[in-house]
Amino acid sequence: MIEVRELTKSFGGTSVLRGIDLTLEQGQVLVVIGPSGSGKSTLLRCLNALEVPTSGTVTIGRARVEFRPNEKPRKKDVLALRRQSGMVFQAYHLFPHFTALQNVMEGQVTVRRRPKNEARAKALQLLAKVGLEDRADAYPHQLSGGQQQRVGIARAMSIDPELLLFDEPTSALDPELVREVLKVIRELAEEGRTMMIVTHEMKFAREVADRIVLLDGGVIVEEGPPDQLFGQPREARTRQFLSLLMERSLV
Amino acid sequence: MGETTNLDIFTDSFLPLLKAGIAFTVPLTLISFALGLVLAMLTALARLSDLRPLAWAAGFYIWIIRGTPLLVQLFIIFYGLPSLGILIDAFPAAVIGFSLSVGAYGSEIIRASIVSIPKGQWEAAYSLGETRLQALRRIILPQAARVSVPPLSNSFISLVKDTSLAATLTVTELFQKGQQITAAVYKPLLIYSEVALIYLIFCTVLALLQRQLERYFDRYSTV
Ligand SMILES: Nc1ncnc2c1ncn2[C@@H]1O[C@H](COP(=O)(O)OP(=O)(O)O)[C@@H](O)[C@H]1O
Ligand SMILES: [Mg+2]
Repeated sequence: MIEVRELTKSFGGTSVLRGIDLTLEQGQVLVVIGPSGSGKSTLLRCLNALEVPTSGTVTIGRARVEFRPNEKPRKKDVLALRRQSGMVFQAYHLFPHFTALQNVMEGQVTVRRRPKNEARAKALQLLAKVGLEDRADAYPHQLSGGQQQRVGIARAMSIDPELLLFDEPTSALDPELVREVLKVIRELAEEGRTMMIVTHEMKFAREVADRIVLLDGGVIVEEGPPDQLFGQPREARTRQFLSLLMERSLV
Repeated sequence: MGETTNLDIFTDSFLPLLKAGIAFTVPLTLISFALGLVLAMLTALARLSDLRPLAWAAGFYIWIIRGTPLLVQLFIIFYGLPSLGILIDAFPAAVIGFSLSVGAYGSEIIRASIVSIPKGQWEAAYSLGETRLQALRRIILPQAARVSVPPLSNSFISLVKDTSLAATLTVTELFQKGQQITAAVYKPLLIYSEVALIYLIFCTVLALLQRQLERYFDRYSTV
């Protein structure tokens, strides 16, 4: 189970997250939407401990860390928390000096201390899952954006995380490549993976999400199942954001 | 009894010069560069470290070495230190001087190439659960190595030529040997040109090796 309690994050004097509470059951998919600058990336990065939250409690699987202002968390706790989640980045961030296969083996070998042959077998299996078993020996620069992002997804899964985090996984892709990546994520949802996804693909969000959260100004404005949030939004701010998205997609 | 031609002098002196180069210039260069690279790596990591005193000590060392002439450093080590009771033979004294120099300049090259690797690479490594040291060793340094091959090769080639300064410490390397032969046959233009030619050969071999190394790293290209 994933639980976030009273999570805040400030950069210098600016507070970016202002008290986030979230609960996610195993196998659930949560989609986070919201205008640019609302704190979506920061929220995901706090869960993966790429940013240290200012205060609040984060529980993912077996790891639970309580953050307090002006108090450095213990390195061991941060590492333990981080190892509970896998991150898929908007710009992929594949390791350019490794092949696709090596990218998916890296975490297994270096972090999980798996024997090489075991890690290779698992990496091949994950690459097959994202439809890239035949590109295992390609370097990232030899792959299309969509293929690179699929390797990124396989890499994030390679450490057996409790939770998968996606930060706008298709925003850097050409429109014709978006579909292949969304297809992979959809399959993972059907398999019962626990996921948190930041996306602007509303049709996809509607299909894949168990719940949707609208973030604005560092707080959760509205939360609910997709049919309710898209169909009968309660908050004026939600209606405003959705109509903005509608306008944009009609252009 | 034929008279000695320039060609005879050239061919007679070629082997002794080459020998001096191979016996002293080459080992002096290789040992100093190897030790210097280790020092450069440690210094670069110290400068990037969170530990203030370590970063400060590294900065101080770089400041001293870059701010003073190599020749003066060599003289301090070989001619100066004995007055403190520290006696070092000419060859090791030269190795120490050159290594310190490579360490200082090389650390700046390595530091710059580490800093040039995009932040996303650190974050991707961290997101897999790697520690800072693991990320550095597995992800950052291999990419930084590729960036630093051309500037480090430059330092290496400069070092080949800088080792001629060891002549002033009585090391009979290539240039010193040239001086000795010149004193005997009195053909400075010929002999020093020959010395230059042998340096040129050494440096050309290195440039070819550099090309091989760059090709090796180009098996993945980020562009
Ligand atoms: N490292 C940082 N330092 C300072 N401000 C930051 C940093 N990261 C994000 N911010 C600020 O936090 C706010 C939220 O950013 P972000 O989480 O990236 O929003 P979103 O992903 O929803 O577009 C923005 O105003 C951004 O400028
Ligand atoms: Mg963002």
